[in-house]
Amino acid sequence: MLFFSLVMKNYPIPEEEAERELDGIFHEIKQVFRVSGVNLNFRTWATYPKFFPVLWVSIRPVAETRLFEESCNHIRALAARLAEKLPRLDAATSVGLGDSQIFQIQAALDLYHYINPKLLVISSVVEYACQHPTMSGFQSQRPDHELIPRGIPLRMYPMEMIDETPDDATLRRTFRDIQRTLGLPGINSDYRTLALWPEYLYAVWHRLKPVITHPLYLEIALTLREAAQQMASHVLPRLTISEDQLRVLGRKRTHFLETTAHFTQLLPPLIINIVLISLDWRSRQDLEGSPFPIEFSSTVLEPST
Amino acid sequence: MTWREFQRLQIVSRVNARFVSYVEAGEGPPVILIHGIPVWGYLWHGIYSELARTRRVLIPDLLGFGFSDKADGFDRSIACQAHMITAWMTQLGIPRATIIGHDIGGGVALRIATLFPARVEALIVMNTVCYDSWPIELMLQFGHPEAHRKISASLAVRLLRQALKRGFSSSRNRNIMEGLLAPYTTETGKLSLIRNAAALNTNLTTEITHLLSGIKIPTLVLWGVKDRFQPIHYGERLVKDIHESRLIRVKDARHFLMWDQPEIVTKHLLDFFDRTVPSRPLMV
Repeated sequence: MLFFSLVMKNYPIPEEEAERELDGIFHEIKQVFRVSGVNLNFRTWATYPKFFPVLWVSIRPVAETRLFEESCNHIRALAARLAEKLPRLDAATSVGLGDSQIFQIQAALDLYHYINPKLLVISSVVEYACQHPTMSGFQSQRPDHELIPRGIPLRMYPMEMIDETPDDATLRRTFRDIQRTLGLPGINSDYRTLALWPEYLYAVWHRLKPVITHPLYLEIALTLREAAQQMASHVLPRLTISEDQLRVLGRKRTHFLETTAHFTQLLPPLIINIVLISLDWRSRQDLEGSPFPIEFSSTVLEPST
Repeated sequence: MTWREFQRLQIVSRVNARFVSYVEAGEGPPVILIHGIPVWGYLWHGIYSELARTRRVLIPDLLGFGFSDKADGFDRSIACQAHMITAWMTQLGIPRATIIGHDIGGGVALRIATLFPARVEALIVMNTVCYDSWPIELMLQFGHPEAHRKISASLAVRLLRQALKRGFSSSRNRNIMEGLLAPYTTETGKLSLIRNAAALNTNLTTEITHLLSGIKIPTLVLWGVKDRFQPIHYGERLVKDIHESRLIRVKDARHFLMWDQPEIVTKHLLDFFDRTVPSRPLMV
């Protein structure tokens, strides 16, 4: 896991520090991905300033389709079904939380339960595209089904986060422990958000840590990764990234590929963790559905059993 | 009481597509305490318990403030906040209440009293914004959209802490500053506060000036006389325009009079309650 920390040398660009073109792309990411903040994937990819705009132009037509949304719904439902077999955390009852705090924790969990599968699928799509670049001038077939509505869902919780290096020593220690245990390059948005309620984060982490090494947990993570790779290679349209465009990365090309592969490995555990934490509050059936569903007339992808 | 303890007391209510966090304590005629900018319901934690002995006290965080909804995509003007408060009252089954507002919370209270008079039993405003007394220079600068990119959350809180010191007459009260600014220490909190500041609009009090004389409910205007943010001459003007009103000047108090003179403020509030909306029916 330490390897991954070393791979991620580029410091992700905070959303509030984005300027001009990057600020515009970050805005579009939130609109297209229907999310209230810009996650680590994009903030890390943004550290490749020449390639990132090209990458985004290529991602956008795929990410705003119903097929993409339903592929992510499929991953989310799969995660909920599989993670239910893992030991329960029961962290919620161990902390004296107020009514408003509970409401906000649930809303924050919904946010990540919605976005994490989308990040896994798009990372897999980008990974696949970089491994199989298209010829210059290749035009991907836009899927023939409808586009999803743009915009952050009205009731989505803002992606509010505690600073990566908080003043509180216990919180700093917990962040370090999470990072070390999960092999994270930086502390992920999910945990930084849960740190808004530090006592709750401590209770969650204390119970989650032993589950992470459970053989079934590792098996589920692998299943999710493979399912996303399957979506990328067989279900979703290819990104139009050509060899010429990849050359823009220069000597950083290997680094970019490693970073992207890293995301496809990190995200399945994050998806499972959010499901496990959410199971304290919600039923598996609830978690199988999208927290921010889009009404479609028919189903494109049937969830596998 | 620490801000974390106060936060734990908050319950939540959905108002249309947004959520409002609030503290509720006590039983009796309802009293709603509305904070100003840049603070939240925690402002009232020093005095609300005393009021809750005979009243049902409700302390909401305005939209975009404290631990109410801080999403970036809705109006936070005092006009919108007044609508939110009345919708929230309806949701809680409160047809009428005594409304107490401080700073822009006073602006919200004045709008409710003038535009939705049926919802107000009695009105108390403390060092309130009114007429063209606002926004103050600091908030005008803070509300600039570019402020989001120019200052970090930690710098924003440092600047606000420095500026707000001028709102207290005693340095010992400055200890509560950490709690008052706690919800704004994250980037989301900072952005929300910037949006709140951007929503400050003089027109929303000037447009109700002609309605002030129509306020027919008992009204108390409490003012910390040493306030540098909202000078007392605005309070003096208010009591001339609102017929049923009385001005009480609170000595040795600045903007945050409930912290500078908590006993005196509480006493005036309780006296006013007893005269206007007794907690028990008066014996005849």
